[in-house]
Amino acid sequence: MNTPHIIPLDVIQLVYAYALILLSLALARWQQIGHEKQLLWSSMRMVVQLIAVGYLLHLVFAINSPLPVVLMLLAMAGFSLQVAGSRIKKRMPNFYRVVGSSIIIGCGGVTFYFCLVVIGYSPWFDPRYLIPLAGMIFGNAMNGASLAAERLSSEMHERREEIECALSLGATSRQSAGEAIRNAYSAALRPTINTMAATGIVALPGMMTGQILSGTEPIIAVRYQIAILCAITGAVAVTSFLIVQQGYRRFFTEAHQLKKE
Amino acid sequence: MHQQQKSGTDPSVEFIDVGVTKLSPAGTSMVILERISFTARQGEITGIIGASGSGKSTLIRLCNRLDDPSAGTIALNGQNIATIDPLLLRRKIAMVLQKPFMFEGTLLENLQRPFLFRKLAPPSAGSLEITRVLDLVQLPAEMLDRDARSLSGGEQQRVNLARALVNHPEVLLLDEPTSALDRPSTARLASTLSNICQSEHLSIIVVTHDLYLAEHIVNHLIYLEAGRIVEQGVGPQMLAKPQTTAFSNFLAKPEKSSS
Repeated sequence: MNTPHIIPLDVIQLVYAYALILLSLALARWQQIGHEKQLLWSSMRMVVQLIAVGYLLHLVFAINSPLPVVLMLLAMAGFSLQVAGSRIKKRMPNFYRVVGSSIIIGCGGVTFYFCLVVIGYSPWFDPRYLIPLAGMIFGNAMNGASLAAERLSSEMHERREEIECALSLGATSRQSAGEAIRNAYSAALRPTINTMAATGIVALPGMMTGQILSGTEPIIAVRYQIAILCAITGAVAVTSFLIVQQGYRRFFTEAHQLKKE
Repeated sequence: MHQQQKSGTDPSVEFIDVGVTKLSPAGTSMVILERISFTARQGEITGIIGASGSGKSTLIRLCNRLDDPSAGTIALNGQNIATIDPLLLRRKIAMVLQKPFMFEGTLLENLQRPFLFRKLAPPSAGSLEITRVLDLVQLPAEMLDRDARSLSGGEQQRVNLARALVNHPEVLLLDEPTSALDRPSTARLASTLSNICQSEHLSIIVVTHDLYLAEHIVNHLIYLEAGRIVEQGVGPQMLAKPQTTAFSNFLAKPEKSSS
């Protein structure tokens, strides 16, 4: 199959697309939901951020050196952490240290395994592969990280009596918090499990759609999609695991005492 | 007035000048307990009474190191508890929390929990371990298969007690054990505690604002107000003849007396 040229979008076509935002704005105003300003602000942010990222990627692609790629990955990890933190009302003790190290180890490890072992491209820092793949892995793992951290905090709060009862019977911190840890980890994994089950039936994933639009053979696009979903699941699983395993310890002292809230 | 009880029994838990200070939300230092000294002896029931907020629950939580004191020493049979592995300590000093908590599962599974925490094979329904604690708290073996969370408040309190006793503790701590019980259930629990104390030769420390326990089963009574021991002595004598105005006022209005 010959690779067809993708139709380039000019500014006029983008204006036509933006008309759909204006339509959404009009509907929101008509229904008086009071979110018009947010809708407008978010859409403008989206445009500005994407254009900025487009130019940044253009620059990074042109330089074709590992340093800007690694810096960009670190920035992505930083933003993931900041977004995860801002979503959570009640943060666990040492939240940024626990979640930050988990994102770097979990997402970083899975990204490099995926890029170097599964895809196996060269050079390792090729921004055309590393940046979009890392973006998808970090973005999805961030959701899992938020869920794991938030659920762990709420479970530890709600189960204080159960935990102290177990401690009084001679349980270790780990044993007394076992149910809270299991529930938090399960909550973090559930959306990813549901997404995998629904993929291809309920929705066509963005990466696959993008590849098909760019002229990639659908079978190849599907293979990429399967591989990236495996990587996302692995990243969510490892990152959330590290968060709950590191996180529960922050609620206890060395003497297996539940810290005061 | 401080008058330490003299007895022929061995000391079990000793508090020596124990204090607890906490930081308030405003950042100022708050004294929760101040210079607490007393001895709880084997085969005796020590009662800590006082109004809400007097520091009773904080005091009892120090005994099995759910919390640590800011000052002073607590000793178990002469050894500073800060030097004992907390997991081992909590097997020697068992605690029944104020609100009975039942783990998910049957009564038997609740009694098996402490064994699982120690990574030991859980005893079966007919085992000596299980029948011993059921006898001690007077629960029938037929109840072992029942869902623990479906039991009445009084039954749950007994399961809590039985579960605390499976580790063969030397000391038993009870935090307001009668707060959710009616008078007949309180009387039954009091009789059970008295029997357990004698048969197991335990030292029992019970925190309460219920004078029934203080009158009927407590040997050594301590009255706490605003984090300080105001009066301590032999239970029935103290109740019959209070030595301080503060304790007299508490006895006159035990539920409403403020700290």
